[in-house]
Amino acid sequence: MNSSKPLTGGGLLFEVLEQHGVEHVFGYPGGAIMPIYDALYDSNVKHFLCRHEQGAAFSAVGYARAAGKVGVCMATSGPGATNLITGLADALADSIPVVAITGQVATSAMGSDAFQEIDIFGLSLACTKHSFQVSDINDLENVLHQAFEIALEGRQGPVLVDIPKDIQQAEVTSRLEEFSHLTNKVQLPLADISNAIDILTHAKQPILYVGGGVGMANAIDEVRSFAEQTGMPSVSTLKGLGAINADNENYMGMLGMHGTKASNLAVQECDLLVVVGARFDDRVTGKLNEFAPNAKVIHFDIDTAEINKRRFADAAILGDLKANLPLLSMSLNISEWQAKVKQMKADFGWRYDHPGSKIFAPAVLKEMSDLMPKNTCITTDVGQHQMWSAQHISVDDPCNFLTSGGMGTMGFGLPAAIGAQISRPHDTVIAVSGDGSIMMNVQELATIKRYQIPVKILLIDNAKLGMVRQWQDLFFDGRLSETDLADNPDFSQLARSFEIKAQTITEKSQVSEALKEMIDHQGPYLLHVKIDAKDNVWPLVPPNTANDKMMESV
Amino acid sequence: MNDYKLIIMTDDKQVVLERILQVTRYRGFLINGMNAQVNTGNQIATIELFVSSERPIELLIDQINKLIDIKGVKVDNKAENNGAQQHSA
Repeated sequence: MNSSKPLTGGGLLFEVLEQHGVEHVFGYPGGAIMPIYDALYDSNVKHFLCRHEQGAAFSAVGYARAAGKVGVCMATSGPGATNLITGLADALADSIPVVAITGQVATSAMGSDAFQEIDIFGLSLACTKHSFQVSDINDLENVLHQAFEIALEGRQGPVLVDIPKDIQQAEVTSRLEEFSHLTNKVQLPLADISNAIDILTHAKQPILYVGGGVGMANAIDEVRSFAEQTGMPSVSTLKGLGAINADNENYMGMLGMHGTKASNLAVQECDLLVVVGARFDDRVTGKLNEFAPNAKVIHFDIDTAEINKRRFADAAILGDLKANLPLLSMSLNISEWQAKVKQMKADFGWRYDHPGSKIFAPAVLKEMSDLMPKNTCITTDVGQHQMWSAQHISVDDPCNFLTSGGMGTMGFGLPAAIGAQISRPHDTVIAVSGDGSIMMNVQELATIKRYQIPVKILLIDNAKLGMVRQWQDLFFDGRLSETDLADNPDFSQLARSFEIKAQTITEKSQVSEALKEMIDHQGPYLLHVKIDAKDNVWPLVPPNTANDKMMESV
Repeated sequence: MNDYKLIIMTDDKQVVLERILQVTRYRGFLINGMNAQVNTGNQIATIELFVSSERPIELLIDQINKLIDIKGVKVDNKAENNGAQQHSA
């Protein structure tokens, strides 16, 4: 701080951010947040100017997910604040700790339909874990500390702090010695360990169903140890990918709508599901009342509200996975079941043979997965390329596979990759995107250019909104409605206009060399890969169908 | 439809009523009525909420309990199944 100036609300914000170890924030200035941007001028916090507030929010999400820290984004009142909402909703759906700061019109103007005034506090109720509006400068410091505590406490999530302009400008006359910690934390009932042990020891065909909560709880070692000790076959949700090491012989990959055939068949046959940090999402279960119909359930979670929400738990173990999971570790006599599952895995492995010279996206992603350096962080957008990425890229940690799971937000991948790269400057970061998704936040190419962020972009282009096209073909009698993107821009030329090196490939024979060039390039790079527009994602469990009735071709 | 009366103890904080009502609607419960006195200057507010739904009330209790300002939620079993009618009568 410049010591000649009195400390204002804006200056206090950055002091508190620094106290919480915040080094980087993502944002976009505007009228009602100008005092905060003025205080930024004197701060040690590094600000990244994104080109849209949604980009700032997703960069904060990517930053948080890649580094396991709180992501911070800022925007002005009105449209700036509303543009953050999609990112906050995404963070809520995927339980990501983000603190969003919004400027608000001065308290005297609030409620008068002032210029760029919106009730972001009201709008935030449905898309944040908690939110604050500060009406007194003396409350600001405590509120900011609580925002960080709430974002990280229990099941993590986004918190919004709306700060009127006069509060940002107000002089801070007193400081806290200590802030008020949360007092209303949910009391978790005692874990049902003995019942769970009884169920587990009687299981003949158990499956370990691993979700995003494992990474969030920093319990990867514990879940791997549990999988190893029990020898239990395991499956993963989209957000759980990387929690179990892909070379574990009993691991079968993703389950659910686009899960592996082996995973879905095994889950349908199992007699016990040990659910770890997962929530029986509809994309996982298919037709809920036919999901794992013969299985008992042991459910580990941090969130009481997830127990019995969609599937009854025969034993619920609430609390910290790191502490609770080892309590059930034991050797199981399930060799017959293991052998059966291994056979399924062998029988239903991926195939990469594809007729013709056109590029086959799954083969590209598999090859990229084999080539990429250890600890590469992948982000994806949403659609066919997302599911192909989940199926064919192997990652060794959930923080290396960042995808919009719960909200399924197109436009996530590019700004999330920017955030991830800033949080982990020494790791390779690759955004896998589609030609529909990338246009949702394409303006963030300018952020890459401005800060020379060495993100790699693998753009899978079928000149279609491919997943919607696939569903229209399969479930709407081929009536293709508003899914054609034949008038896409020249993506390589577009990237070059932002001084990003780029290449377009159209033939299988070009793939290997192009991937190597992209990965080896020191700066940002866009590899534009044109694929056959008719390729579909298989397997596919049709809507409201049991997971063992998946489609594998047209 | 099943009717329930919830008794909610909460810190008397900004917009706590809005938060409870939003969660109640979103989680599939019809709000039939409520008794509440908030922003009274006391630290704690008590809210009686009359709701109906086909869904189990535990789902709503768990979700309201997750709100940061909430101290506790319980069902008034005596009022269950006729709470809304009593309230609106």
